[in-house]
Amino acid sequence: MTTNISLALLIPLFPLLAYFVQVFVGKRLPRMGDWVSLGAIFLSFVAASRIFLSMFNHFDPAWVETWHFTWFDLASLKTPFKLEIGVRIDNMSSIMLFMVTLCSTLIHLFSTGYMRNHHGEPEDGYRYASFFAYLSLFTSAMLGLIISDNLFTLFMSWELMGLCSYLLIGFYRHKISAANASLKAFMTTRVGDMGLFTGMLMLFTLPLANGQVLGSFRFDDIYAAIQSGQFNFTIGGFHAAAVIGLLIFCGTVGKSAQFPLQVWLPDAMEGPTPVSALIHAATMVAAGVYLILRMFPLLEAGGVLTIVAYVGAFTALFAAILAIKQNDIKKILAYSTLSQLGYMVMAVGLGAYQASFMHLITHALFKACLFMSSGAVIYAMHHEQDIRHMGGLRKKIPITFACMFIATLAISGVPMFSGFVSKDKILVAAYAFGILDHSQHFFIPLAGFLTAGLTAFYMFRLIFKTFFGEPHDHHHYEEAHEVSFNMFVPLVVLAGLSLSVLFTGSLTGGLLGEGDFIFKGANNWFETLVTNASFSTGHGEAWHEHLHHAHMPGMILSLLVASIGITFSYLVFGAKKISADKLAGLWPSFVHKAIDNLYFFDWFYIKILIQKVFMPFSSFCAVFDDKVIDQGAVDGVKNVTQATKDVAGILIDDVLIDGLLVDGVGGAMPLALGSTLRTLQNGRVQRYLLVAVAALVVVLIWRGF
Amino acid sequence: MSGLANNLSFYLVVSAIMFVFGIVAALSRKNMIGIFMGVELILNAAALNFVAVKLLQTKAAASPTQDGAIFSLFIIVMAAIEAAVALAIVLRVFGVKRSIDPDGMARLRG
Repeated sequence: MTTNISLALLIPLFPLLAYFVQVFVGKRLPRMGDWVSLGAIFLSFVAASRIFLSMFNHFDPAWVETWHFTWFDLASLKTPFKLEIGVRIDNMSSIMLFMVTLCSTLIHLFSTGYMRNHHGEPEDGYRYASFFAYLSLFTSAMLGLIISDNLFTLFMSWELMGLCSYLLIGFYRHKISAANASLKAFMTTRVGDMGLFTGMLMLFTLPLANGQVLGSFRFDDIYAAIQSGQFNFTIGGFHAAAVIGLLIFCGTVGKSAQFPLQVWLPDAMEGPTPVSALIHAATMVAAGVYLILRMFPLLEAGGVLTIVAYVGAFTALFAAILAIKQNDIKKILAYSTLSQLGYMVMAVGLGAYQASFMHLITHALFKACLFMSSGAVIYAMHHEQDIRHMGGLRKKIPITFACMFIATLAISGVPMFSGFVSKDKILVAAYAFGILDHSQHFFIPLAGFLTAGLTAFYMFRLIFKTFFGEPHDHHHYEEAHEVSFNMFVPLVVLAGLSLSVLFTGSLTGGLLGEGDFIFKGANNWFETLVTNASFSTGHGEAWHEHLHHAHMPGMILSLLVASIGITFSYLVFGAKKISADKLAGLWPSFVHKAIDNLYFFDWFYIKILIQKVFMPFSSFCAVFDDKVIDQGAVDGVKNVTQATKDVAGILIDDVLIDGLLVDGVGGAMPLALGSTLRTLQNGRVQRYLLVAVAALVVVLIWRGF
Repeated sequence: MSGLANNLSFYLVVSAIMFVFGIVAALSRKNMIGIFMGVELILNAAALNFVAVKLLQTKAAASPTQDGAIFSLFIIVMAAIEAAVALAIVLRVFGVKRSIDPDGMARLRG
């Protein structure tokens, strides 16, 4: 076991230990033990940094360290069952570990301020300790998922995260909406998990092309089987890799809230803001994208990448449209997360898995910043979340404003900021795929560029409405003040990490040639390291050529749409040259109705699917039980019995039973017997047990021992 | 490995002692928790038998089976479930009667 492997094993262990400490003794510790969770995740961060540095020392795209052991080996069974689990550290997981531990440390730090009231007392009494316990478990599960070298432990961590999201979204349990939201998140992701689990089992148990079962969940074994073409068989007439790949993709659709299972994510805003930051940046939704990045070869072998791309593109566009009309500061960010996740999934579908992973990391950093800034705004405004009641806050909370502004520049795709680099790569790939390669798939680049413009538009709407203009609620405005030290430090750090130079090693992304790289030897380190030589992108030879040709037009277009979005947003909400109401009036009312009702998805799921399909089915079962089983079978037998009884009653009962047996044998004898035997039925458990033991002894002796 | 550890009856004697202790505890304690602890002992005595037989059989046979280990796993899981249900019952009984003396719960007597 190398140092890196041992460190990787420690990383999820620290928060897990903190979880147990917090659950059992958290409320008796000083400060209710928030320092236990914070310290544990910080230790994980130190360990992750060590692995991160080690990755730079190797600086090799093929660097991988694995270690595994046999957990179960039931070789003597008819069908041998052997389960190997272990740890896999490569460039992707090192970067991911670093990002998750960093974000999570900062979110923990932020929570020590946010979860207390303005007098510095824990807001919810003893539940302050539980909050940190859940945060620790959540982080631990995510870290366990990252270091897994197999689908089995990945799935275990995956489900653990589902549980933690349930606990944390419903943290304010006195609110009915929060309780419903947590249930909704849990149930919706469960639908996707069913697909993932079925896919995993098929992968493990189905006989492959060579007649053998794979019998392993390890990525290495899966990749090897794919490369040797073992998945070239059919399941029900479909290509096996396609079926299994799509089933596993279902897990991503649930966890990363892609269409059509996106309904839970906006509702998840009911949780405390640090939880939203954790779910939307470092954990949960990132896990879904991470899963399809790991299973990329399977999706590629099955030829289902285009389906994945369409799901992503569609989610990106429609979530961006929803974000425009939201007024809750956190809901806007929630829909922007949906839309950015759509980008990542789309990029995987385009074969640009490097771009997808880069966007996953950059998005996590600036989205954590955005969420925590919004948390700081909400905290400063005494839990006011409606942006219509805000305004002019930049003078009151300048640090929060600066951080949120930088993160907004990043998400809008302004050059020099991280979002520009990663989004640009995705859009270039979309351009190359949908315009140069396959013009029938023009929807993908169209949705991509439209979403980029819309993102800039609604994010700047948020900034202008919150921080500029006149305050709309003077009472809250007067009371607002800058948040404390432990709350703005995370914002500043994350805002600093939203600079593109950290990801490309160059201020301009290498536009001016090799000369403008700052870190020598680390030019474009991110893309270099993440590129996996064994992943085929599923495109022909012309792809690289097209990607190269797409570079310039793609970048110019993405800059153009972003600047149009920002300018338009300024004209409408900043300078107020264009009336927002007039703009809204341009659209027919059914568009507004659709957006206000979130395209009727909730309505469809609850009113149609659950109430009209599932409920009738269960009531049908209930009626069947009542009418057929109960009234038909049971009561029918009863009627027959009753008729027999009436006849037999007179003859047998009255004469024979009552007269002779009951009064005679049944009267005197049972009375004597009963009063004797009732002492046995004395209701004392231990007497019964004693009788049983005595009987056992008698039997043993009688049978000759 | 010493001769003692290879002797099946050594395990069986330990298990028998555990079993008897469990029976005695279950019969004589005036505390429901104590009774359940006795039952746990009985279960563990049984599990010990399975594991012991499996261990010695693994050493002896050319192609050992895992039945003993699997059975003891089932026993452990069942014991855990039993403990959970039992504790829930004890808590409910205590909530109603403010006592966990099993003799106090004789409402079903004849």
